[in-house]
Amino acid sequence: MIDNISPTKTFPGGDGSRRHPAESPPSSTAGHRRGRGRIRATLEAYLLLAPSLAGLLMFLVAPIVGVVVISFFDWNLMGTPRFVGLANYREMMGDSEVWRAMRNTVYYVLLNIPAQTVLALLLALAMNRKLRGLKVLRVLFVLPWMAMPVALGIVWSWAFDPQRGVVNQFLALFGVDGPAWLSSTGWAMPVLASVNIWQYTGYTMLFLLAGLQAIPESLYEAADLDGAGTVQRFFRITLPLLRPSMFFVLVTNTIGSFQMFDTVYVMTQGGPGGSTDTMNYHIYQQAFQLFRTGYASALAMLLFAVILLVTAVQLLYFRKRTIYDFS
Amino acid sequence: MSSLSTAVRRTTLYGILAAGALLSVAPYLLTLNGALKRPADLLSTDAWIPAHPATFANFTAVWNQYGMSSFLLHTLSVAVLVTIGQVVFSALAAYALARMEFPGRDWLFWGYLATMMVPQMITLVPLFLMMRELGLVDTYAGLILPTLFGTPYGVFLVRQHFRTIPHDLEAAARIDGANTWTILVRIMLPLSRPILATLAIITFVNTWNNLIWPLIITNSDRTRVITVGISALQGEHVSDLPHIVLAGAALALLPLIAVFLLFQRHIVRSIALTGLK
Repeated sequence: MIDNISPTKTFPGGDGSRRHPAESPPSSTAGHRRGRGRIRATLEAYLLLAPSLAGLLMFLVAPIVGVVVISFFDWNLMGTPRFVGLANYREMMGDSEVWRAMRNTVYYVLLNIPAQTVLALLLALAMNRKLRGLKVLRVLFVLPWMAMPVALGIVWSWAFDPQRGVVNQFLALFGVDGPAWLSSTGWAMPVLASVNIWQYTGYTMLFLLAGLQAIPESLYEAADLDGAGTVQRFFRITLPLLRPSMFFVLVTNTIGSFQMFDTVYVMTQGGPGGSTDTMNYHIYQQAFQLFRTGYASALAMLLFAVILLVTAVQLLYFRKRTIYDFS
Repeated sequence: MSSLSTAVRRTTLYGILAAGALLSVAPYLLTLNGALKRPADLLSTDAWIPAHPATFANFTAVWNQYGMSSFLLHTLSVAVLVTIGQVVFSALAAYALARMEFPGRDWLFWGYLATMMVPQMITLVPLFLMMRELGLVDTYAGLILPTLFGTPYGVFLVRQHFRTIPHDLEAAARIDGANTWTILVRIMLPLSRPILATLAIITFVNTWNNLIWPLIITNSDRTRVITVGISALQGEHVSDLPHIVLAGAALALLPLIAVFLLFQRHIVRSIALTGLK
C-alpha cells in the first residue's frame, strides 16, 4: 500500500497510460488459459506461491492471531495460561508506565521525523545539481544507513560520555561545558533521536532525490518564462510534485520510528528515570524479562492500533492532495 | 548574477555538503581509531587524536578470547541463507502475483500488503512460543525460519518490477512453446537483476544488523550472532574494557561497509529506485 506510488501520473503529458501494461493481460495469453489450461495455470500459480504463502501463514498470520488470543490470558510462559478476559487491557489503561512509554515514543517520533525529513529534503535539493563530486558525497551520506545499530549505539555512548566523549571535548573547544547527555532525563531522548537522524537522513535523501529527478525540466523552463523566482519554483512546482516521494518516506519512516528498539537497548535501557522507555522497549521487558506474556501482548495491540491510526491519518492527508497510481 | 557570487555560492554549498559528509563518516573513523588505540591511550588521549602507535591487539583479543570469530561466522551463514531464501521465494511468489491469472490472486495480494504493515514486535511473543513448541529455541533453524521463505516486502518489491516487463516478450515465448518455468528463468529473472540485487542487499543488511529476534531466540555461544555478542560485551565490559568493546564494534561494522563500498554505485542507484517504481 505504501511502495506503489508512482509520481508519473501527476505530470501533464506523463506516460501513465502505458506504465502498467499488466492491468489486464492481452488476449493472446488469456486465450491459452481456458478449460484445462486454466486449471493448470491455477495449479502452477499456487505451486510458485506455496513456499512464500506457507511462510506468511506460519510466521506472520498465525502469530498475529496468536497475539490477539494471548492478550486475553495471564501467562508467564510456564504452567497453564489463565483466561482473564479484558483484564490486561483494563490494567493497561491505568498503568502510568505504559502511558509514559507511549508519550516517550510519540516524543521520539516528533523529534525524529520532522528534523530528518527537512534535513533530507535540503540535502536532496543541494544534491540535485550537476556539480562535480556530488556522486562521491552521495555515497558518503548513505553510509550511516548500513551501520549496525548495536555497534553504533556503543560508539555513540562513548561519544556522548561526559568526560571521555568526543562531543563534550568538541564543545569544550568553544568553552561550552556539555551536559552528562545520557544520564540526563531531558537530554537522553534527544540524543537517541539524533542518532536515528544521523543514521537515516542520507537514506531518506536518496528517495527524495529520486523524486526530484523525476520532475521534468520543462516545467522549470516554463516557470522561468513566466518570471517565477526560486521560492515560487519550490512551492509551486517542486514541493507539489514531490508529494508522492514525501508520502512514501514519511509513512515508512514514521512506522519505523514507532518501533525503535536497538538504540534504547544498548544506550540507555529505558533510563534515566524511564525517560527513554519507549513502547517497543517496554513490551520487550514485559514479555521477555518479566515474562508477562499476556500483558505484553495487550501492549503490542495498543502499539499496533496507534501505528495504524497514525498511518491512516497520513494516508488521508496525502490522499486529498495527491493523485496516486495504486495498482 | 556575477560569476564571483556564483563561485561563492558554489563554494559555500560544497563546504556545507563536505561538513555533512564528514559527520556521516565520523563515527566510523572514531570507532576504527579507538579500536586501534592501546587501552591506556584510549583513556588518556582525546578520541580524535590518531592512534600511535596503532595496535591490532584489541582485534586479536576480541577475535580469539571473546568469541567474535564464531559470532561473525554464525551471522554470515544466517545472513547468506536468509538472503538466498528471500530472493528465490519472493521471486517465485511475485511472478505468480504479477503475471498469472488464478482465483484468489487479488485477495492474496491484499493479504501480502496488509501484513507488510504489521510491526515486528507484535509477532515476537507468539513466534517465540511457536519455536519453543517446535523445539527450535537456540538453533539455527529458529534464527532463520521466520524470514527464510521471503517477506511480504520482498514479494511486493519484485512483483512491482515484474509488472513493468512488456507482455509481448512473454507472449512470444509462449508461442514458441515455452512453459511458465522457462519464461520465469529465461526471461523474467534476467531482466530483473537490479531489483533482485537491491532486495538481496537490503535483506543482507537487515539480517546482519538484526538484534531483537536473535536476542530472544538464542541463549548460548553455539548460535550467538554478532549483534547479541556485541551487546553482551557492552553490558559486561564497557567500563573496564572499552578498547575491547570498540574493537568488537569495528569488527561488526567494517565488513558491511566493505560490501557497500564494493557495490556502492549499484546500491545507491537501486535504493533510490526501490520505493518509487
